[in-house]
Amino acid sequence: MSQYLPILVLAILAILFGAVSFVASRLLAPNRPSAAKSAPYECGIVPTKDTPQRFPVSFYIVAMLFIMFDIEIIFLYPYAVNSGELGIYGFFAIGLFSVVFFLTFVYEVARGGLDWGPLGQARDLTSLAEMVSPERTATTTVRRVGSEGRFPVSVGVEEK
Amino acid sequence: MAVSELAGLFQGDLPMGSPMVTGDPLLDGPLLWAPLIVVAIKVLVIFVLGLVGTMFMVWFERKVVAGMQNRVGPNKAGPFGILQTLADGIKLFFKEDLLPDRADRFVFRLAPFLAFVPAFLVWSVIPLGGDYSGGRDGIVTILGQQTRVQLADPPIGILLVLAMSSIAVYGIMLAGWSSGSKYPLLGSVRASAQMISYEAALGLSLAAVLVTSGTLSTSGIVASQTTLGSWNLVTTGFIPFIVFLIAATAELNRPPFDLVEAEQELVGGFNTEYSSLRFALFFLAEFMNTITMSAIVVTLFLGGPRPPAIGNTALTIPLIPGALEGTIWFVLKLLVFLYFYVWLRATLPRLRYDQLMNLGWKVLIPISLGWFLLLAAIRVGDSNGWNVIAVVVIALVSLGLGYLLFTAALRVSSRQRDREGAMY
Repeated sequence: MSQYLPILVLAILAILFGAVSFVASRLLAPNRPSAAKSAPYECGIVPTKDTPQRFPVSFYIVAMLFIMFDIEIIFLYPYAVNSGELGIYGFFAIGLFSVVFFLTFVYEVARGGLDWGPLGQARDLTSLAEMVSPERTATTTVRRVGSEGRFPVSVGVEEK
Repeated sequence: MAVSELAGLFQGDLPMGSPMVTGDPLLDGPLLWAPLIVVAIKVLVIFVLGLVGTMFMVWFERKVVAGMQNRVGPNKAGPFGILQTLADGIKLFFKEDLLPDRADRFVFRLAPFLAFVPAFLVWSVIPLGGDYSGGRDGIVTILGQQTRVQLADPPIGILLVLAMSSIAVYGIMLAGWSSGSKYPLLGSVRASAQMISYEAALGLSLAAVLVTSGTLSTSGIVASQTTLGSWNLVTTGFIPFIVFLIAATAELNRPPFDLVEAEQELVGGFNTEYSSLRFALFFLAEFMNTITMSAIVVTLFLGGPRPPAIGNTALTIPLIPGALEGTIWFVLKLLVFLYFYVWLRATLPRLRYDQLMNLGWKVLIPISLGWFLLLAAIRVGDSNGWNVIAVVVIALVSLGLGYLLFTAALRVSSRQRDREGAMY
């Protein structure tokens, strides 16, 4: 175990460095707290909503997949280091393991477990364009001021 | 990462009768005063080197990026502005240390340490130099004690690096979570998903190196790369090197994979709420990780501190004692990668998050897994006298089948996605 001694010493030194720096900073730095300073950062405005407690499920799926891969890696390393001694049997064992593992991964990919981002479909804007047309139409009487030239409005109009 | 639990397995289990020295000879015998003093010297040197190296790296990055953008960069503090980082660091000491209302006070204080201490510990297993002249094995003599020019040489070696980079994920995740603020939370959730994704690719490409080196100890990995032709870069066939380099960039959250700190969307990312010294520790950890990760790449693929050699003739630098030569080669190789990382930052735009995840999961991980199996097959075939061509053909055919299966899965998922998209 004595091979690990220097690592331990370095860890202690690093923690000490951090702690001593904190003490130094506390002595040197001003301490004038205010309500504005200790509010959560919100680009300069007063926060109105709480921090979301939930985030998309894709992140959890990635985390679970990672655990799978981590286990795969744990089994690969002993084989990788001793591949010479484990020979043919070891190779086929690890090969079989990898195939089974790869198949589950393929299934996960096919199910869309690793798809991210917004759904990639261009929306049909024809009806929308008609609605915001600068002209008054049969579907809406609201005239959108300032929308001239900003929407592909001619699409819906010209077809008539 | 749980691989560190494997440590126990390997201690008594290294290849028998191999010429590699396992462990640092300094710590083999009983611990007397002399070895302890050498350990103390080495710890101090590594510690100072770590801090000074990080200072240099920050300056180097700013200066090189400035050069690439036709600016001058830091040029006031010290010659060529080299003391700019020191000045910035001292400034941070004098800044008010804020603790947000919503923060989880204990975790908020703990997180910088979780990022910064592992960054330091990675240094301990990197071979930083050594005497490789005249067929020596990198062992130098300090104060009459034979030792390696690396802080510690445990048999688990490279696993320590993986374990530390996993702990660093906790630092970033907890920093964002404990801030009690929107942007840090988003940044840290992104960061942890990104880091664990690329850690899988990193680990799989590392397995290829372990197959060719047959040991986990970093000095053993260096010892197995005696000549240019036996650098792992060549023996593993370049692909694991490329995968490792990309995965390492993502693991470091450096551009083009710096979505964690995407200023336009996330302000400062996970460290938005941090100020003063706590911020300095995160900053330090980040740049120190850049250096250590480059050093790991050098160790794993480019022969570490070994001078480039063809056959039995090694390149030697004249007028430099053999014990220093290793360090010079190491620094030269290291600088290539440090420059590479800065270059990436100055050149490439940031990836989108789905592109990032697709690159990690759907490109790098399957490639590195397939390449590992290919290497293992070639090695097994080689040691059992199978026909090389037959082995390669069969392996390529099976990998091709895997590729077809995988592309089919991608097609199925994208069709499914289009259907879902059409419903909106």
